[in-house]
Amino acid sequence: MTDHYDVAIVGGGPAGQAAALTLDDLKLKTVVIDEQPQAGGQILRQPPQSFRIPGWMEDRTYAPLVELLRRFEARTSIHWIGSHSVIGLRREPDGLFALTICSPDGLRSITAARVLIAAGCQDLAVPLPGWTLPGVYSAGGMQALLKAQRIVPGEQIVLAGTHPLQLLIAAQLVEAGGGVAAVLFSQPHGTMLKAGIRNSLRAFDRLSTAFPAVRALATLRKHGVKVLYNAPIQAICGTDRVAAVQHSGGEIACDAVGLCYGFVSQSSLPRMMSAKMRRAGPAGGWATLCDEWMQSSIQGLYVAGETTGVAGANAALASGNIAGFGIGAELGAISRDEAARRVARHRANRRSLLRFARLLDEIADPRPFFPALRDDTLVCRCEDVAFAQIGPVLDGRSANAVKLVTRCGMGLCQGRNCEPTLLRLLDNPNDPGFTARFPARPVPISDLAT
Amino acid sequence: MMRLDHGIERGRRIQIILDGERVDVFEGETLAAAMIEQSSAFRRDSNGMARGMFCNMGTCGECTVTLLPGGQRVRACLVPAQVGMDVTRD
Ligand SMILES: Cc1cc2nc3c(=O)[nH]c(=O)nc-3n(C[C@H](O)[C@H](O)[C@H](O)COP(=O)(O)OP(=O)(O)OC[C@H]3O[C@@H](n4cnc5c(N)ncnc54)[C@H](O)[C@@H]3O)c2cc1C
Ligand code: FES
Repeated sequence: MTDHYDVAIVGGGPAGQAAALTLDDLKLKTVVIDEQPQAGGQILRQPPQSFRIPGWMEDRTYAPLVELLRRFEARTSIHWIGSHSVIGLRREPDGLFALTICSPDGLRSITAARVLIAAGCQDLAVPLPGWTLPGVYSAGGMQALLKAQRIVPGEQIVLAGTHPLQLLIAAQLVEAGGGVAAVLFSQPHGTMLKAGIRNSLRAFDRLSTAFPAVRALATLRKHGVKVLYNAPIQAICGTDRVAAVQHSGGEIACDAVGLCYGFVSQSSLPRMMSAKMRRAGPAGGWATLCDEWMQSSIQGLYVAGETTGVAGANAALASGNIAGFGIGAELGAISRDEAARRVARHRANRRSLLRFARLLDEIADPRPFFPALRDDTLVCRCEDVAFAQIGPVLDGRSANAVKLVTRCGMGLCQGRNCEPTLLRLLDNPNDPGFTARFPARPVPISDLAT
Repeated sequence: MMRLDHGIERGRRIQIILDGERVDVFEGETLAAAMIEQSSAFRRDSNGMARGMFCNMGTCGECTVTLLPGGQRVRACLVPAQVGMDVTRD
């Protein structure tokens, strides 16, 4: 028997939680599926239930998100399926959506009248010489190790890139007792950066009031952490693990590196459904287009949060509410007029947050600062495809064609890491990128055969 | 790599098997967290270069390990450590 729901939500971050609570208020049978064991999303990645961490995310700027999470977790009428990846999404002949979900125990299928994809974003992967050495992490991943596992993955950590979030991550690391050797910004400490940082962090989330860049900078100064501008990272050195980074002004010894060039939307499921996408922001990636109710170009398929373009946790929360009411109205659980009235403040809120997000995009724009690739720099980490193999076949080819010739994009990550790099190298604004294929997440072949 | 201990209770110490060796880990921490405690290097790539985890959020697949005896390939950054788990990096 396949379980059936009125609404299936992919992703238990702020967007998915807000939508689920709205839909549950409207008495619609709702399931939320997430590959993490617990709800929270990237911003509130929760520690294991066996941990006790007094003061976890207690800072008042996280309060609205933590409150949302606690309400979501307390609402037993919302069906939660954690530790399951959604690997397939398709429309059945009867119009229902079928989702294939996967765990170490195998595959199963659920159906739903409407689907909301609130799958969040990931760090933009930026190749540079040495970036595949053990000890190099995406900065968000490093932050999640700290938040949820209480692990600091080094004693002399370097954060490098163009995104101001690295200041906050560095400050969180040193405040937790970790050692940060330096924070390297590729861009110069221009007037724009100075003027923009405070606003930009407000845009990214409400960390701003407690952790404005100014306060993060003060924390870093107190701990003697160097923050260098106009110091683009050029290479990471080491044999079996990270030993140093080279930047334009010299070399810094370190034992871990967090790369922080911004975030790109998760797009595999909407692309699998052939929803209309747009090239998103300066960091690259694909955002799913949607209408004022967060419905994608596919009837009945809704999107919310970072899936629609990276704008931070509070914008995700607002869009989740809008999507909830949009789906509720479509399913007849609330009148369109009443729904419009209820979403008005979420729309206004989201609009202003999106303005800040654009400012942040501008400040963090990585495009002028992508490190030069060497012949042996891996562009595709999964299939070990080096720049030397890709460079000669770029001419006039599509991303799909380069993938066929080189295997770039054929590995476990399904091109999530290498696609932005390849599209950048191809420099063709009309290239639609890799064709999204089933499964959206790696699955053992044996499961697919059964 | 350091596990912070200031003011934190991590739950039970348990043992799992990692590449045939018994290792002490904390119940519920991710397999990836338990693995970087041993070494930041998880595997060798086709060029013989050491590789470790990267994204810590399930998108890159760099932390993929095999659970025995079933042989399931899982992303270690998503899977909590539980008593008796037998994990191999091959
Ligand atoms: C590693 C990381 C750290 C971040 N840290 C911060 C921060 O400190 N401050 C900040 O303001 N912003 C941070 N961000 C940005 C952050 O994404 C947003 O602020 C916020 O979490 C967005 O909410 P969301 O609901 O759109 O998505 P998320 O919170 O990302 O939630 C999406 C959820 O969907 C799940 N998911 C995705 N695809 C699938 C699938 N196929 N199957 C099953 N589940 C799936 C994910 O596991 C995730 O839990 C971070 C982003 C990343 C990637
Ligand atoms: S480290 Fe990327 S999937 Fe686990």
